[in-house]
Amino acid sequence: MLAYNARIATKSLKRNPVLTAIIILGIALGICASTTFTTVRHMFARDPLPGKSDKLFYVRMDNWDPARPYPTSESGPKNANPLPPSLAFRDVTELMRSNLPARQTPSYMTILAVYPERRVSRPYQATVRVVGSDFFPMFDVPFQYGHGWDKTADAKAEQVIVIDHATNAKLFGGANSVGKRLRVGSRDFTIVGVLKPWRPFIKMYDLTQNFVGEPEPLYIPFSLTRPMQIRNVGNSDGWQPVGPTFDDFLASDVDFVPFWVELPKPADRAAYQQFIDNYVRAEKTKGRFLRPLNNQLTAMHDMMVEMGVVRPALTAMVAMSILFLVICALNLTGLLLGKFLARAPEVSVRRALGATRADIFLQHIAECEIVGVAGGVLGMLLSLGVLRFIAKLITATTIISLDLEMILAAIFLSLVAGLIAGLYPAWRICTMQPAVQLKV
Amino acid sequence: MEFGPIVRALSRNRMRTLLIVLQIGITLAVIANAVTMIKGHRAKMQKESGFDDDNLLWVHSKPYAETYNERSFRITTTQADVRALNGIPGVTAASNTNFVPWQGGGSSTEAKVAGGDGTKVRMQAYVTSPQILDTLGVHLVSGRALRDSDLDLDPKSTKSTVIISRALEQLMFKGKSAVGQQLLESDNSVDTIVGVFDKFYNPYGFPIHEYTYFADGIASYGGARYLVHVEPGKMKQVIPEIEKRLLQVNDGRTFEFKTINEIKNQYFTESRIVIGAMTAVILLLVIVTGLGIVGVTSFAVTERRKQIGTRRALGATKPAILRYFLLENWIITNTGLLLGIAMAYGLNYLLVTKAEGDKLDWRFVVAGVVLLWLQGIIATLAPATRAAAVSPVIATRAV
Repeated sequence: MLAYNARIATKSLKRNPVLTAIIILGIALGICASTTFTTVRHMFARDPLPGKSDKLFYVRMDNWDPARPYPTSESGPKNANPLPPSLAFRDVTELMRSNLPARQTPSYMTILAVYPERRVSRPYQATVRVVGSDFFPMFDVPFQYGHGWDKTADAKAEQVIVIDHATNAKLFGGANSVGKRLRVGSRDFTIVGVLKPWRPFIKMYDLTQNFVGEPEPLYIPFSLTRPMQIRNVGNSDGWQPVGPTFDDFLASDVDFVPFWVELPKPADRAAYQQFIDNYVRAEKTKGRFLRPLNNQLTAMHDMMVEMGVVRPALTAMVAMSILFLVICALNLTGLLLGKFLARAPEVSVRRALGATRADIFLQHIAECEIVGVAGGVLGMLLSLGVLRFIAKLITATTIISLDLEMILAAIFLSLVAGLIAGLYPAWRICTMQPAVQLKV
Repeated sequence: MEFGPIVRALSRNRMRTLLIVLQIGITLAVIANAVTMIKGHRAKMQKESGFDDDNLLWVHSKPYAETYNERSFRITTTQADVRALNGIPGVTAASNTNFVPWQGGGSSTEAKVAGGDGTKVRMQAYVTSPQILDTLGVHLVSGRALRDSDLDLDPKSTKSTVIISRALEQLMFKGKSAVGQQLLESDNSVDTIVGVFDKFYNPYGFPIHEYTYFADGIASYGGARYLVHVEPGKMKQVIPEIEKRLLQVNDGRTFEFKTINEIKNQYFTESRIVIGAMTAVILLLVIVTGLGIVGVTSFAVTERRKQIGTRRALGATKPAILRYFLLENWIITNTGLLLGIAMAYGLNYLLVTKAEGDKLDWRFVVAGVVLLWLQGIIATLAPATRAAAVSPVIATRAV
């Protein structure tokens, strides 16, 4: 019966190809617009580390000017108690002595010169992320060869380095380069790990600046900051005079180190909050942290909300695109109504020959669903193109693809749109009196 | 006029009427709000920086030679670079500065007026070589520009010479001239103001987009950066020439080039997506609802062929039939538009409170109403003409 309905429906669709094309295109546009913007928003809003982002906490402590709070902007982060977005080097070093967190890592960015073997490539500058050994397991960084460094390397400030897939391809032809040497920033490093191609949609490990950018190609231990005299690039916030030497800088209240801790259980979180509060209270007695106690442990998801990762403009676009789909569905209803009722004489003959109302109803609903699914598939194909275009606008390496969740949602949406749009026309045609039409 | 019969006919076809009314209503709501969104983002993008954005180039020298670890070497190379850049044909002016227009940030500091009431003001703070005003294309309002002799290379020095933006002068000196005055920064350094320039607008994370100073200095840490003003249309030719000349100064480095318009486009990615998408939505909506009206009116005509025939047989003229359908559509459109106006304001309220957006401008609602009126008439014309062409003979064939 189903096959029969499908056959009649297809026949009917073929009879008026222009109208059919218009109807399918209408649905396709609606599905394309709504899938595109829902997907873009979903890419920003979705959990970047499923199952983990409620265990990873961003640590902030208010060491700002006692005279006034850290400045905020109308378009910037929304925080009831504004405070600097990162920590001072000296505080991170102290906090890292605690063994309360299951894992913990600082994560700031710098730029260093890379000196490959002369015959391979000219020297060049590269962005480098300066992190602790826990960085790799905390943020699920995938390795192709080797692995991150260990705690000993952290403690001894060993010259070890992790390089990304592209750097390995460029400098070592893609071969396993673990154990090889690489000169970076006038020191010789030993390569301990090579990453798989890795392009998270947002850089969740540093949400305070350019989080849509691509991950850095090189990773070195945080403990090298002092011996290599590394200065960060990007955000740094200070309000007090800083002495001229590098040690003055590290001992100052200049905030430039984003710091993450992994706290698996709520009890761990409470204990860690207690720990940082106690730390700041102790520092207060030494004349630092002059503002009221304001230490914030923010779960990754809440940090994303505060930093405005999901742009309000995107939410507006999702709303607009869904209304667009609604209009397309209303439009479809109108067109189908006209189409079906124009066919009244033919349907009347079928009714007279014994087809029940249910048969007629199902036959027409089948037609609507065929149109709906065809429009849905076409819409998704269109949206793939549009998404590729939008991704290129965000950054050259951003990738937006439809994941299974979104594909299923789009198919479901097109089925629902087809059903809702077809319900009334199908009902009208099946409740029509055949006698009236047959008298002609 | 046939108001009575039309309204009675419509009330018999409630579903069909409702379909079009809803479609027109939502369309108006979406179009009015889409135009408002486009206008909001346009306004952001059209905000003038005060600089000649179209002809500005950003050059980043990325050194790898270890000689660059020496501060004195960095300084002499940077100064040689600036001289070389200013000598290239097609370059009108070039400066060494850590200022990059339109990147949505930069560096900032806090300072108070020396001898003032102690109010600290946050402002953007950049170092530059003296050519910055010519490079950006901004004008000196009072005092003088920076000079080579202002440069103080002592690393322990806490004094510098600055020029400030007019907006900052107005904010800090309340109408008095800032020339000759001093700023005290929170790191205890003293900036002597020698000139005031206009205009300056560079969007920043803090609300200090128009407040800035430029201090005479060398920006070479992490690789010197340069802003280059190029004669109109010469950008493509000048870039390889710049690379060649700077490599002649020193070849232990690589270069990155970006036009300010590229940086600006990146900064406005979101606005460009919103404008593009909303424009597409408006165009498609007009087409889609237009097709919808054609479809439903055609159906209304087909369904009533017999009645039309009867009316014609009883003496109604062709124009009368045409008028009937146009009028019917006009009544439906107006009902839809009334609903649409309410929905437009409702949707706008939701967008403003739950997402983002500006208050709806009533003029856009009016424009939307006019657009949909026109669309209604055009879309009805074809089916209505077909209705008028129905032969009176139909009446005799009817049941």
